[in-house]
Amino acid sequence: MRLICSSLFLGGLLGMGLFIPSVHARPVSYPGGWTAMLMNNGDVNSAHVHYSPTAKTSVGYKFEYWRDKDFTLNAVQMNNLLKRWNQKHSQANLYLKSGLGVAYSDAGDFDGETSAAGFTGIAADWENRRFFTSYENRYTEAGEIDDFYQQSARVGWAPYEGDYGDLHTWLMLQVDHSPESKDNFTVTPLVRFFKDVHLLEAGMNNRGEVLFNYVFRY
Amino acid sequence: MKRLILTTALVLSLSVPAFAAHPGGTVYADVNGLVCDFCARALEKVFGKQEAVESINVDLDTKVISIHFNEGQRLDDETITELITDSGYNVEEIRHGEE
Repeated sequence: MRLICSSLFLGGLLGMGLFIPSVHARPVSYPGGWTAMLMNNGDVNSAHVHYSPTAKTSVGYKFEYWRDKDFTLNAVQMNNLLKRWNQKHSQANLYLKSGLGVAYSDAGDFDGETSAAGFTGIAADWENRRFFTSYENRYTEAGEIDDFYQQSARVGWAPYEGDYGDLHTWLMLQVDHSPESKDNFTVTPLVRFFKDVHLLEAGMNNRGEVLFNYVFRY
Repeated sequence: MKRLILTTALVLSLSVPAFAAHPGGTVYADVNGLVCDFCARALEKVFGKQEAVESINVDLDTKVISIHFNEGQRLDDETITELITDSGYNVEEIRHGEE
C-alpha cells in the first residue's frame, strides 16, 4: 500500500511538472540569477543551487542529509512563484516548492536501501522594511525509507532600516513543527545579516541545536 | 548686477556637473514592492544588461529607481515597464527629467 501511495505521489509530481523546497530564503531570484544556499539545523544539513530563468521560476539541485532519519536525498528542485502582491511599502509572496530525486539510507532499518523520493510544499511570506513573517510546509516521501510532514513559521523585526548596500540586520524567531517527532515543536531565535550578495543566519533552538544558514546570490 | 552674475554662476556650477555625470539623461520610475536590498540588486542586474543604460540608482526610502542613460541612447517607457515587471515588481509611474 505504501509503495502504491509513493508511486502515486511521485507520479503526481511528475505529471504536474513539479519538484523540491528549501527554507525561509527567497526560492526564486531575478531573471538570469543564480543562488547557492547552505542550510543547517538540528535535523538536516542541506545544499541547494538554483537558477532562475524568470522571476517566477527556479530550477536547481538539492542535497539533504537527514541525520536522525539516517538518509540522504539528491534531487532536482523546482520553485514556482504562484502569486506576488507588490504594495508601495510591502511585498507578499506565495510559492510552490517541489523536488524529485533519489533517497539513500546509510544506517538503521533500511541500511543500504535506495528509493525514489520527492517532496512538495507551499511557502508564503510578507515583509516590509521593518517586519517579516513567513510560513511553509512540506511533505516528504522517500519510499520504504521514510515519509514525513513538517511545517515552519517565522516572524522577524529589523532594528533599523538600512539603505541599499548597507548591512541589514534582522532578529527572528522560528517555530518548527514535526508532528511525527517526539519533541514535535522547536523554537529557534536567530539573527539574520544581509549585505550585498551575502545572507547569513545563526541561531540556537530550545534543544540547544545550532542553526546556521548561508545564502549567496550571483 | 553683481548678485545676478553670482547667482548665475552658482546655478551653472551646480547644473553642469549633474549634466556631465549623466549626459544621456535620467528617467525616474516609482516602483511597488521594493522592500529589501535584494529587490534593488535584482533591478540593478536586469538594467545593467541593457546597452542603453549607464547606471541605475535605487532609493528604498522613496521606492524610486533612477535610470541613467548613455549619451544618445534611451529605453522607451514600455520597455522600462516590461523590465521592471519581468523582474517581479510593479510600476506606478514613469517620469522624465524630474525627480
